[in-house]
Amino acid sequence: MRFPNPPTRPGRWALAAAALAGSCLLSGCFWLDGPQSTFDPNGPVARAQLDLFYVTCWVTLAIFVLVGSTLAYAMIRFRARSDADTHAEPPEQHHGNPLVEVSLIAASVFSLVIIAIPTLKGVWFSYDVPEAERAGAYEVTATGYQWWFKFDYPNEAAQTTDAATGKPASAHLTTGNELVIPAGRAVHVSLRTVDVIHSFWVPKLAGKVDMVPNRGNSLWIKADNPGYFWGQCAEYCGESHAVMRFRVIALGPREFNDWLNSQMAPARSVPAAASTGAAIPKAQFVAYREFRRNEAGYTDRFDVSPLEAWRRQQVPNSGEDPALIAKGRELFGAKTCSSCHTIRGVDGAVGVQGPELTHVGARTTIAGGLLENNRDELHRWIHAPNEVKPGNKMWVNGYLLNNIRLTPADEDALIAFLESLK
Amino acid sequence: MEAIAKSDFVPKGEQAAKPLVLWRPMAKAGVLSWLTTVDHKRIGFLYGISGLFFLLVGGVEALLIRVQLAVPNNTFLTSAQYSEMFTMHGTTMIFLVVMPIGAAFFNFVMPLQIGARDVAFPRLNAFSFWTFLVGAIIVNLGWFMKAGAPDAGWVGYTPLTTRTFTPTHAIDMWVMGLQLLGVASIAAALNFIVTIINLRAPGMTMMRLPVFTWMTLFTSFLIILSFPAITIALIELMMDRLFGTNFFEVSNGGLPILWQHLFWIFGHPEVYILILPAMGIISEILPTFSRKPLFGYPIVVFSGASIGLLGFGVWSHHMFTSGLGTVATAAFALMTMAIAVPTGVKIFNWIGTLWGGHLSMRTPMMFALGFLWMFMIGGFSGVMHAAAPADLQQHGSYFIVAHFHYVLIGGSLFALLAGIQYWFPLMFGRRVSEFWGKMSFWLVFIGFNATFFPMHFLGLEGMPRRTYTYDGNMGWNLGNLISSVGAFILAAGVGVYLVTIVYTYFRGARTTRDPWDARTLEWSLQNPVPEYNFRAIPTVHARDGWWYEKRHSAEIEREAGEHAKAEDAHGGIHMPFQSIYPFLASVGILVGAIGTAVVDRADPALYPGFWGPKIAVTLAGGAIMFVSVVLWSLEGCEGYHIHLNDDGSVKGDDARGGYAAGH
Amino acid sequence: MSSDAPAATIDHHFDPTTSTGIPNKKILMWAFLASDCMFFGCLISTHLIYRLHPPPGTLAPRQVFSIELTSFSTFILLMSSLMMALAVNAIQKGNLKSMRWSLLTTIFFGCIFLGCQVYEFRNFVFEKHLTITNSILGSTFFTLTGTHGLHVLVGVIWLTGMLLYSFTGRLTERQAIDVESMGLYWHFVDIVWIVIFTAVYLLEYI
Repeated sequence: MRFPNPPTRPGRWALAAAALAGSCLLSGCFWLDGPQSTFDPNGPVARAQLDLFYVTCWVTLAIFVLVGSTLAYAMIRFRARSDADTHAEPPEQHHGNPLVEVSLIAASVFSLVIIAIPTLKGVWFSYDVPEAERAGAYEVTATGYQWWFKFDYPNEAAQTTDAATGKPASAHLTTGNELVIPAGRAVHVSLRTVDVIHSFWVPKLAGKVDMVPNRGNSLWIKADNPGYFWGQCAEYCGESHAVMRFRVIALGPREFNDWLNSQMAPARSVPAAASTGAAIPKAQFVAYREFRRNEAGYTDRFDVSPLEAWRRQQVPNSGEDPALIAKGRELFGAKTCSSCHTIRGVDGAVGVQGPELTHVGARTTIAGGLLENNRDELHRWIHAPNEVKPGNKMWVNGYLLNNIRLTPADEDALIAFLESLK
Repeated sequence: MEAIAKSDFVPKGEQAAKPLVLWRPMAKAGVLSWLTTVDHKRIGFLYGISGLFFLLVGGVEALLIRVQLAVPNNTFLTSAQYSEMFTMHGTTMIFLVVMPIGAAFFNFVMPLQIGARDVAFPRLNAFSFWTFLVGAIIVNLGWFMKAGAPDAGWVGYTPLTTRTFTPTHAIDMWVMGLQLLGVASIAAALNFIVTIINLRAPGMTMMRLPVFTWMTLFTSFLIILSFPAITIALIELMMDRLFGTNFFEVSNGGLPILWQHLFWIFGHPEVYILILPAMGIISEILPTFSRKPLFGYPIVVFSGASIGLLGFGVWSHHMFTSGLGTVATAAFALMTMAIAVPTGVKIFNWIGTLWGGHLSMRTPMMFALGFLWMFMIGGFSGVMHAAAPADLQQHGSYFIVAHFHYVLIGGSLFALLAGIQYWFPLMFGRRVSEFWGKMSFWLVFIGFNATFFPMHFLGLEGMPRRTYTYDGNMGWNLGNLISSVGAFILAAGVGVYLVTIVYTYFRGARTTRDPWDARTLEWSLQNPVPEYNFRAIPTVHARDGWWYEKRHSAEIEREAGEHAKAEDAHGGIHMPFQSIYPFLASVGILVGAIGTAVVDRADPALYPGFWGPKIAVTLAGGAIMFVSVVLWSLEGCEGYHIHLNDDGSVKGDDARGGYAAGH
Repeated sequence: MSSDAPAATIDHHFDPTTSTGIPNKKILMWAFLASDCMFFGCLISTHLIYRLHPPPGTLAPRQVFSIELTSFSTFILLMSSLMMALAVNAIQKGNLKSMRWSLLTTIFFGCIFLGCQVYEFRNFVFEKHLTITNSILGSTFFTLTGTHGLHVLVGVIWLTGMLLYSFTGRLTERQAIDVESMGLYWHFVDIVWIVIFTAVYLLEYI
C-alpha cells in the first residue's frame, strides 16, 4: 500500500507502528481460555451461544473480506498519483447503477438470513430448559444483593430451629456466593433482587440475564462435567459492582448428594472435650498478612485447581482450638453479627441482610466470591471490609455496623469460629 | 423569481410600527457581540468550541479510566472516582462532544448548503446554544461540589438512581443537566427542520439537497421524536427524587424496567443522531475528493431515512438480557438485523463513489476513508449483537465497549474530525498543514485501533464493563495494557490535531475560494464567509449546485447580477437584529436548575412550610426566564438591511443597523 | 388599524417568502406538536402500563374518579377550542374586536377547565386519599393530568399575553400567523385531553 504524494513520513511511521501493534495483538490477545472466557463453554447453553457467535463471525468476516478488498482496491487503483492527476479533467460524472445497488441489497439480506435462522433457534433454546429435560431440571433461586449473591434451594429442606419455640424445624436450604449444582443436569435458576438491578453471568455456562426488581426473570444452565466456574455481576450496581463475584461448582451426582447432606445439617460445633488443656486462646499472637487495597484475594495454589481447593475446603482444619471457637461463637452474637447473618443452630443468628453463614467454612471464597477463604483473607475482610468492598453494608461511617469494635483477640476468635463452620 | 429575497421585508410605502424594545444590542465585536449573536456561523463556532473543549474533558476522563485499568488490581482511582469517570465520560462524549460538534456543522454548513442567509429562527438558535451550555454546566457542576459528579452510568438505570440508593445531588444534577440538553437539542432541531423545509434557495428542490443537509433533516426529526422519551423518563425520575412519587419505587410497585424502555426508546435513535450527521459529512467529502458525484444519491438519502425510521423499532436490543421473553427478543433481533441493510447500502454507495474517481488523498479524505474502515468493523460487531443469544454473552462486557467505540469514534468522531478539516478553509480562510493533518490522522487511527480492538477479546474473555478493578488471573492483563497504551497514542493524535487547528486558525496558510474543487453550494462563497452569506440568493440548477455553477459561470454570473439588483430594489440584504434575551432566558434556566438540582432541601425547622432557599432560587430562575421570554417576544423578529460595496464589504452606515423593517 | 390593510391581498395559507409557501411559524408549531405528541405518548403509556400492572392494594380508579365533573370540563375545553378557531378566523379577517372577544372566552373556558382540575385534585387528595406519593396510581395520574394542566396553563398565559398585546395596536392581520400557531397549540392541548380523558377515565367505565 502506498500513500499520497506530498509527505509520506507519517504514513511509514504508521505502518511500522501498526505492524508492531498487530504482532502484539496476535501473540497476546488470542489467549482465550481465561476463567471467564466465552470461548471455552462447559454447557449446552454457552456452547449454543458460542456457535451462534461463530456464525455471525464468519458471515461478517466473509463480507468484510469482500467489501474490504473492494474498498482497498478502489483506494489504490483510483488514487491520484501525481499533480497532473489531481488537476486532470474530472472523471465521468456518473450517478449510480440501480442494478448493482439492488443486487447488493439482495446479497446483504441473504447474508442476514444466514444469521437470522440460528438466531431464532438460539432465542428459544437459551430462554428456558428444553421440554425433554424440564421434568428433571433442578430448581434454584439466585438473589442479587449489593454486592453479593444469595442462592436458595427451594426443594431442599434444611434443619434449623424454630426461633419462637426452640424446637427443631426445617427451612429451605440457603447459601451465599457459591452455587453448587449437579453436573449433567439442567438447572433452572430463578433470578431475583432485593435492591438494584444485578446480572447473573457465568460465561462458561450461559450468557447473562438481569435480576430486575419486580420482574421474575430466569435462565437455565447445565454443566457437562464437574467443574468450578467463575461468575460475576454484569450490570452496574453501585460502588462495589466490580468486586461482586460468585462461583458455580458443578458436582457429580454422588458428590452433590454428599454436599447436600452436609449442608442440611445445622452449624457444626466443635466439642469442647477434645480440647483439654487449651483454656487460654493462644492465637492472640497470630500475625496476619497485610493487604493493599484491591490486592488479589487468592493464592496461586488455589488458582491451580480450584475444584480441588473446594474439595479440600470441605474437610475440617486440623488443630482447631475449641475454646477459641466457642468464644467466637459467643462473639458472633455479642458483636451483633447475628442480626444480619443466619447460622442455623446458633441461637439468635437469624439475620437475613447478609449472606447465610451456616457452612461458610466449607466455601472456597468469602466476600462475594472475591477472596479465598483462609485466615489471612478472613482477617482482611472482617478487619476492614471497606478496604475490600467500598460502600458495603457491613461498614457504616467508618466502623463496623452498630458501632461495633473488634479487638485483635475478638478477630482471632471470630475467624476461628467462621473457619470451623464446615 | 418571486422568492429570491427571502427576508421578511415590508413592501415599499408601508410604515413599520415602532418596535416595543427596551434595548437593542448592536456590538459587532467583543464579548457582548458573542452573547447577543444570532448569526448561525457564530453560533456554530460556539458549538464547535464547546464541543472541542468537552472533547478534552471527556478525553482526560477516558485516560484516567485507562490508567486505572492498565494493570490488574490497580489503586490509581477509588471505586467511587472510577464510577464518576465512566459516567461522565459517557455523558460528556455523547451529549457534550459529538452532538454539539454535529450541531456546529448543522449551524455553520447547512444554511450555506441550501443557499440561506440564516436559520429560520435565529434567536431560538442562540437560545439552543446557551441552554446547551447551561445543561453542560449543570451536568459537570458535581466535580466542584461535595456531592461529587454523577456516578450511576450514562444510562442511569433505576433503582440505582433513586434516592434510596443514591441520595446525593449528583444524580439530581445529571437528571437536570440532561433535561436541559434535551430542551436545547429539541429547540435546535425544530429550527433546522423549518430551515431546511422552508429556506431553500430557488431551484433547491428536496432531491437536490446535499446529503449532509438531508442527514441534518433526519437527525433533527430523530431528535424531536426521540428526546421526549428521555424527557419523560427524567421527569419521572426527578419526581421520584424530589417529591417522593413511585414511578420507580420498587416497594410501591414501580417497575425499573420501564426506565430502560423509555431510556432506550430515546437511546437507540440517539445512536443514529450521533452517526447520521457523520454519514452526511462522509457523503460530502468522498465525492469532493473523488471528483465524482455521490454514487446512488437517492438510495443514500432513502437509506438514511429508513435507518432513522427503523431506529425507533430496535430499542429493546439494548435489553436482551433483561428478560423480554422469546417473541419480543426475536422480533427485536430481526429488526436490528434489518437495520444493517440500509447501513450496508451506504457503505456500498461510498465505495461506488470512489470507484473510477480521481482520489486525492488530502487529510479530510484520509479521515473519511478511515471512517469507512472503522465504521464497517463497528457495523459488523453490531450485527453480532443482533444475534440475541450470542449477545447474552456480549452484553455488558468489553465487547460492547469495543463495538460502540468503533461506531462512535471510528464512525462519528472520525467523520467530525474529517469535517473540521474539510470546512476549515470555508470557516476561517486558512488551510491545515497536510503533514500535521496526516500525522494526526495516523496517530488517531493507530491509537484508536490499539485501544479498542483488544477490547473485543477482553469482552469475549468475560471482562464486564464498568468495573474499576480486575484480578490478574483472568487473562485480561495484556489486552488491557495494550488498550491503555493505545489510549495515550490516541490522545496524542487528538492533541496533535487540536494544536494543529489552533495554530492554523492564527497562523495557517491562507486559501483561495473553493480550495478543494468541491461540489456543493457553500463553496461558492468567499472565505471566510461574510456575515450575510450570499451576496445574492443563488438559483440552483443541479444537484451538485456549485459544480454546475463552475461549469456554467457566464449564465450564473448574469443571473446573480439580476438577483442582487432585485434584492437591492427591495431594500437590500435583510439581517436579523441581535438579541440578549435568548442568553438571559438561559441564565434564568441556569439559576432555576441550580435551585432544583443543587440547593439542599430546606430544613423544616428553619423554613416552616413550603418556602425555603430551594424554592426561592428555583422560582427566581423561573422569573428571570419568564421575563426574558416576554421581552423576547415583544422585541419581535425584526431586522435591518445592509447594502454591499462591489468588493463585498458592507457599506458604512448599514453596519450599524437601522430600524428598517418590521414583521 | 386593521381596516387600513389591504385584506384581500393577504393569503394566510401562503407565504411567498418561504420555499414551500407555508409560513415558518406554522411548520415550527407542527414540528413542536409532533414532539409533544411523543412526550404525552410516553406519559400516557406510563400511566396505562401501571394501570395494567397495579401493585396489590391499589385504590380502584372507579372509587376515585368523578366522571361527571370530568365530562363537564372536557366539554368546556372542547368549546374553548371552538372559540379559539373563531379567534383565528377573526384575526385573519382583520376583525380585531371579534378576535378579542373570542380570545377572552377561550381564556375563560381554559380557566374553568383549570378550576375543575384544581377542584378535582383537591377532592382526590383530601377526600379520596389519593396522593402523588401514596400509590403508583396517584403518581402517574397526577403527573399525567398535571402535565396536561401545565400545558393548559401555559396556553392560558400565552392567550392572555396575546390579548393584552392586541391592545398595543401592533397585532394586525399580518400577524395572524402568531394567533394561528397559538391556536394550533391550543387545539393540540385539547386533542391530547380527549385522548387522556378516553384512556384514563372513560376506558374504566366500558
